[in-house]
Amino acid sequence: MADIEERQSLLGSEEDDDDIQRDRGPGRPLSAISDPSHLLHRIIVLIFMCFLGFGSYFCYDNPASLQTEVILDMRLTTASFMQLYAWYSWPNVVLCFLGGFLIDRVFGIRLGTIIFSVFVCIGQVIFASGALLNRFWLMEIGRFVFGIGGESLAVAQNTYAVNWFKGKELNLVFGLQLSMARLGSTVNMNIMGWVYSRITDLVGHTGYTTLGVSLMIAGITCLFSLICALVLGFLDKRAEKILNKEQGKTGEVIKLTDVKDFPFPLWLIFIICVGYYVAIFPFIGLGQVFFIEKFNFSPAEARAINSVVYIISAPASPLLGFMVDKTGKNIVWVLCAVVTTLIAHMMLAFTFWNPWIAMSLLGVSYSLLACALWPMVAFVVPEHQLGTAYGFMQSIQNLGLALISMAAGSILDTRGYLFLEVFFCACVCLALIAVVMLYLVDYVRAGDLNLSASARVKLQKEATPDSE
Amino acid sequence: MELLQQNKMFAVSLELNPGANSLPPGVDLLHVRAQGVNDTLHFLLCSQGAPTLLLVHTNSTVSKVQVDWPAFLTRNATGSLKVEPESSIVHSSAMVFTRLWEYDDVNDTADPDSVPRSSFLPPYELQNFTWSDMNRTLDPAAHTATLCGGDGSSSFINGSFCLQLSAFESEGRDRGWPSLLHNANSSQMKVWLSGVSPRANQSRFSLELQAVGGASLMDRVDVVRSIDDEYTPSIFKVSQWVSSPPNQTSTVLSYAQWKPVAYRQPVPVFEDSTPCHHSGPVPVPQRERPAAASGLVRAFYGPEPPAAGINMTFSIAGDPYYSVTKFLSWTMLVGLGTPPVDSFSPLVLSIMAVALGTPMIILLLGGVYVCVRKTVTPLPQVYEPIN
Repeated sequence: MADIEERQSLLGSEEDDDDIQRDRGPGRPLSAISDPSHLLHRIIVLIFMCFLGFGSYFCYDNPASLQTEVILDMRLTTASFMQLYAWYSWPNVVLCFLGGFLIDRVFGIRLGTIIFSVFVCIGQVIFASGALLNRFWLMEIGRFVFGIGGESLAVAQNTYAVNWFKGKELNLVFGLQLSMARLGSTVNMNIMGWVYSRITDLVGHTGYTTLGVSLMIAGITCLFSLICALVLGFLDKRAEKILNKEQGKTGEVIKLTDVKDFPFPLWLIFIICVGYYVAIFPFIGLGQVFFIEKFNFSPAEARAINSVVYIISAPASPLLGFMVDKTGKNIVWVLCAVVTTLIAHMMLAFTFWNPWIAMSLLGVSYSLLACALWPMVAFVVPEHQLGTAYGFMQSIQNLGLALISMAAGSILDTRGYLFLEVFFCACVCLALIAVVMLYLVDYVRAGDLNLSASARVKLQKEATPDSE
Repeated sequence: MELLQQNKMFAVSLELNPGANSLPPGVDLLHVRAQGVNDTLHFLLCSQGAPTLLLVHTNSTVSKVQVDWPAFLTRNATGSLKVEPESSIVHSSAMVFTRLWEYDDVNDTADPDSVPRSSFLPPYELQNFTWSDMNRTLDPAAHTATLCGGDGSSSFINGSFCLQLSAFESEGRDRGWPSLLHNANSSQMKVWLSGVSPRANQSRFSLELQAVGGASLMDRVDVVRSIDDEYTPSIFKVSQWVSSPPNQTSTVLSYAQWKPVAYRQPVPVFEDSTPCHHSGPVPVPQRERPAAASGLVRAFYGPEPPAAGINMTFSIAGDPYYSVTKFLSWTMLVGLGTPPVDSFSPLVLSIMAVALGTPMIILLLGGVYVCVRKTVTPLPQVYEPIN
C-alpha cells in the first residue's frame, strides 16, 4: 500500500519540473525501510544483491556434486564429464572483456542484470532438458549458455555493490557477496545427492530421467536469482528517481592495445593466477570419486569434504582480507598460499592421512590467495589500464580452466588419480616458480609490490603532495 | 635363451601332455618349465575335472615331470603325476577353480551373504565343463595358453568361460588393465566370462577358488594399501592370499595376488571397471575336498589334502548387472616366494623432481645473486661537508 502512495508522489514530482529540486531526497518523509538513502533500505537491497549470485554458484557445481550419477546415467567417460566445466569457461574467455562494455554502454546495469539472470535460468533449463532427453550435446549447450550469464552476472553484482555502497562499507559488501557465493556452492555439494536419492524413490529407478528432474529442481534457485534481479532492478530504478542519481556503471575501460604495455610483474601475476586456480576448481570437480575410492568415504561424506574448501572460504575470506589489508606484504602472503596448497596436494597424493586436514589447508590457502593476489594488479598497473588488466586476467583464467578441465578428465581416464594429483602439483609448482621470480624481480627493481601496509600508506601520501 | 642370474631371467619352455602317446579328447596337461641357475619352477595346468594350476619349486636344475598316463586318467591313483627327483621339491601349491556361482540380485546389494538362498541359481560346476583343445591356443613365444569351455547348456551356446595362463621370464607388466607387476616367480591367470547368457534379469556372478598347499595352507588374505593407482586407475588396494611357515607370518611361501577390480569390457575404459571383493579364506569342508573335483590334485597330493577356499564376488551395489555387457574379466597372479611390490613409474618421479626442484634452484640462484649484488654495490655515502 505504501508503495502506491510513493509512486504517486514520484509521478507528481516528474510532471512538475520546478518542484524536482524541492522533492529531491525525502521531501515527504518516507518510512525508513522505503527510503533509499537509509541504512535499513540498503540492507534490504544488500540481501537481494547477495542472493542474486546464489543461483548461479549453486548450479555451477551441480556436475561435481552428482559426478557418479552423471557419469553412470549419461554413460560418459571422465573426459566427457569434464567438458561440462570446459563449456562453462569457453564463453568467458571473450566475455570478460565484453562484460563491462555491455553493462555500461549497451544494456545498463538493470537490464543487463536481468538479461544475464535470464541466460543463467535458460542455461540450467537446457542443461536439465539434455539430461531428461538423454542427449549429452544438449547438456553441453546448456552449460555454454549458463556460462554466458554466470560470470557476467558477477560483474553486474559488483557494479550494483559499488553503486549502493561506495565508501567504507564496500569491502564488507564484497566480502558478504563472496560468502554468499560460497554458501551457494556448499549447499549444492551437500544437498544435491539427497535430492537425487529422493527423486530416485519417486521415479523408481536411477537413470537420465531422475538426473533431469534433479537438475530441474536445482534450476529453481536460478529462478529465485532472476526474481532477485527483477526486484533489484525495480528498487534501483526507484532509488534513481528519488535520489536523482545516475545509473551505475562498471567504470571499466577496456582497451586491448594496452596489453602490450603490461609490465613483466603483471605477466608473472597472470601465471600465478592460472597455475593456481587450475589446481583447485577441476580438482573439486573430480573430488567426490577420489575421496570415495582412495579414502573409502561414503558418497555423502565425500560430498561434504569436497565442499570444505567453500565452507572455509566463506568466513575466512573477509578475515584474511582484513589481515592482508593491515599487514601488506602481498607477495609473502601469496607465497604462503601457494606453498600451503602444494603441501595439501602432496598430502592427498602421497599419503593416506585424513583428507580433512589437506582440504582445510586448501580452503584457507585459497581464500588467502584471493585476498592477496587480485589487489596486486592495482599496484603494478595505472588506473586507466586496470579494467583491461582484470579483464585479461579473468579471460586467461577461464581459458586455463577450460583447457585443464578437459586435460584432467583424460588424465584420470588413462592414468588414474596419483598421476592427476602429480599433474596438479606441477601446476601449483608453476605458480610457485612465478611467485619466486616475482619476489626476486620486485626486490631487484626495488618495486612496491611487497611493501608493508604502513609503507604503502606513506607512499600514497607522498604521491599526492597537493592533497592538503 | 641365456640364463642371466643377475637379471633374474629364467628360461621358459612349454610342453603339452609330456610323455603321452594319445589322449582322449578334452584332457590336456600343460607343463611350463622355468629354469633358473640352481632351481626350477614347474607350472602345470590341467583341464581334467576342475581347471587346476599346480606350482612346484625344486632346488635342482634337472627336475622333470613324470606322468603315469593310464593311472592319471583313472583319477584314482595318488602319485600318477610326480616331479622327479621328489627329494628336490622345496614347496608346492595348487589353485583349483571349482565353481561359478550365479545369483539374482533383486535388492541390488551385490553381497551374496545377504541374498536369500532362493535367489541362488544352481552353480556351474567347472569339473563338468568340456574344455577346448589347448593345442590350438598354445602360444610358445608369448608363453601363454588358453582354456575355454562350457557345460553344454543353453547359457553357453553363444559364450564361454575361459582361463588364460601366462608364464614370464622376467619382470614386467601386461599392457591391458589391471597391469599387474609380475616377475619370473609368478604366473598370471586371467579368467573371463564372455557372451554367456545370464539366467536371471539381475544376475551377478561369484567365482569359487580353492588353494591346496603342500606344507602350509593358504590361510589368510592380506589387503595392502597402495598410494599408486597409475596402472589400475582408482584402485588403491592389493589383495594377497598367502601361506606362511608356521609362526613366521612375515615370510611368504606361496601367494595369489590380485587387485580388487574386474572389468566389464574386453578392452576396458575407466568406467568399465567394477570392484570385486572376496570372502574367506575358510577351510574347505570334508565333502567338498578338491581332490574329488580336480584330477591333478588327486594325482599329485592324494585323496584328502587340506584346502582353503575363497569366493570372489564381482560388482558392488549400484553397478550395472552382468547382462548389460555380458562380459566379465578378472586377473590374478599365482606364484611362489614373496609377492611382487608395485612402485612409482619413472615418469611420475621425474615430474615431481622437476616440479619441486625448479623453484628451489631459482630461489637458490636468486638468493645468491641478491647477496652478490649487495656486496658488490657500494653503500651510498654520507655527505661530507665541503670545507
